[in-house]
Amino acid sequence: MIEPVALDDFFVNVFSAATIILAGASYAALLAWGKLTRRPGFLILAYVSYGVLAVSVWLLAETSHFEGFWRIIAGLMLIGYFAAPQAIWRLCTVTHAGEHSEHDRPIINQQQEGEQS
Amino acid sequence: MSVGVLDSRNLNGGQKLAVKYFIVAMVLFVAQILFGLLAAVQFLAPGFLFETLDFSVNRMLHINAMIVWMLYGFIGAVYWFLEEESGVEIVGLKLGEIAFWVLTAAVGVVVLVYLFLQIGAGDDTTRWLINEGREYIEAPRWADIGIVAVMLVFFYNVAGTFSKGRWSGVSGVLTLDLVALVGLYLAGMFYTTNVTVDHYWWWWVVHLWVEATWEVLVGCIMAWSLMKLLGARRKIVQTWLYIEVALMFGSGILGLGHHYFWIGTPEYWFPIGGFFSALEPIPLVAMVVHSIYDAGVHKFKSTNHPALGWVIAHTFGNFFGAGVWGFMHTLPQINLYTHGTQWTASHGHLSFFGAYATINIAFFYLAVQQWRGNVWMGANLADNGWKWKWSMVLLNLGVVGMTVALLIAGYEQSFIERAIEGSTWSGYFAAQTHPWFTQAMFWRLIFGIVTAVGLVLLIWDLATIGARETRPALVIERPEEPGIKAAVVETA
Repeated sequence: MIEPVALDDFFVNVFSAATIILAGASYAALLAWGKLTRRPGFLILAYVSYGVLAVSVWLLAETSHFEGFWRIIAGLMLIGYFAAPQAIWRLCTVTHAGEHSEHDRPIINQQQEGEQS
Repeated sequence: MSVGVLDSRNLNGGQKLAVKYFIVAMVLFVAQILFGLLAAVQFLAPGFLFETLDFSVNRMLHINAMIVWMLYGFIGAVYWFLEEESGVEIVGLKLGEIAFWVLTAAVGVVVLVYLFLQIGAGDDTTRWLINEGREYIEAPRWADIGIVAVMLVFFYNVAGTFSKGRWSGVSGVLTLDLVALVGLYLAGMFYTTNVTVDHYWWWWVVHLWVEATWEVLVGCIMAWSLMKLLGARRKIVQTWLYIEVALMFGSGILGLGHHYFWIGTPEYWFPIGGFFSALEPIPLVAMVVHSIYDAGVHKFKSTNHPALGWVIAHTFGNFFGAGVWGFMHTLPQINLYTHGTQWTASHGHLSFFGAYATINIAFFYLAVQQWRGNVWMGANLADNGWKWKWSMVLLNLGVVGMTVALLIAGYEQSFIERAIEGSTWSGYFAAQTHPWFTQAMFWRLIFGIVTAVGLVLLIWDLATIGARETRPALVIERPEEPGIKAAVVETA
């Protein structure tokens, strides 16, 4: 059975749900960009985004009165949104490996310099 | 091949048929916007066209026109690449032509009946000849049967042509998806007197069509478009098509559960719907990683700037419309309040536009380019491409504006009508007359007009782009597939 969101928590609930997806996308984008450019700053920002996602999941769970099975969903969301971008990155490098072997571990700045020269 | 001139000699048999589908799709797109605007006016002035063209009729035509124009676009896109992808002529082109005219005549008759007869006595005659009465799939039974027959012809042409020519990953996924596309429509064609049972199957058409078969169909169209547009390698595109299909089906099929929360189905649909709805945005988030990988690793070359622009709009629209706007109100704890309010309309506007309208428009640009003799559609267009740029800005701005306005109206409805007033009749009117609602509806109309202006510009651009252009698009051969060429122009 479920217990609906309380009136006072209405905004926090929908805002946290939207933030989960936005923070999830930010984490994915920053992680990919950080790995692509090998800049640790982006990776740190990626994990900060993931931290925002984790807080949002907690807020969603609290305001939605998650108990029992629903807490498992919250846990799986945390794992899924963390692991999916890492797995997709791995798939990207593997599926594109044969295409541009020199770009297996690409560095954007060097590429651009090479193109300009 | 005459560059810059609309000449059907530039097209193969399937492409000539596809152009017909695209033209009707655009006509229906206009109808969708027109009836949407009328319905938007009726929210502000309920007496407008009362008992002449009621809100219920306008809304029905608005939504049905959208579904049908998108289907026309998808069918046209598949016919467009069928011969090139299979390497042979379409096996039943004449049958396909007949099916097109039958479908178009049927759509015309259904629209006329909707407009002039509108309602019936609520008996079997009405169900067979006027209106089946079920939201989104109101088409009378005779038209349902016609739609299935036309889709079977389409399936025969696709499966038969690939069987005669060459199969590929794209064609295999596409053919299997068409089986589901035809099969699922049948779920909406029988009638039961129990409204819960009836809705149970009705959602198979409404949800599974849109969030499973349409998504996969668009995945196939995108896969082919990316090979054509960017010269992407088939092996990679197909691998990612399989991954996308697995992710979409893995989360999307049982994501159906979020429609079963309040229709009288057992309570186990709460955790099933909740769990899979939480998973549904993950493919969209994962897509972000691949986009960045590709953008960073590859030097982007595009055959067609407007088409690429709309593909990019597709990725953003799909992510925000389906992902953010969907997940905001999908869990049952909040969906109890938001279900069936303007919040749903807000989500529907952005996700349908983002996921499907954008990709169809991108394909229209690909078609026009070929129709004009594979004309240059890169940088430095004759008029600096202002029409396609402004139509894209206005259409996106209009839809996003309507989405935000409807979100405000939906939030107010959920809060006042549902949460405070407990879904009472008086609560319904309290919410409908609240300033937040009426002001939001006013802005929805304004942004609807912006969308309409964008559509006019889009039609103007599709009719004229490349007309005075004499430069042909540069053609290169993809080394792994000498039979298939990608026309590539360097980006500015």
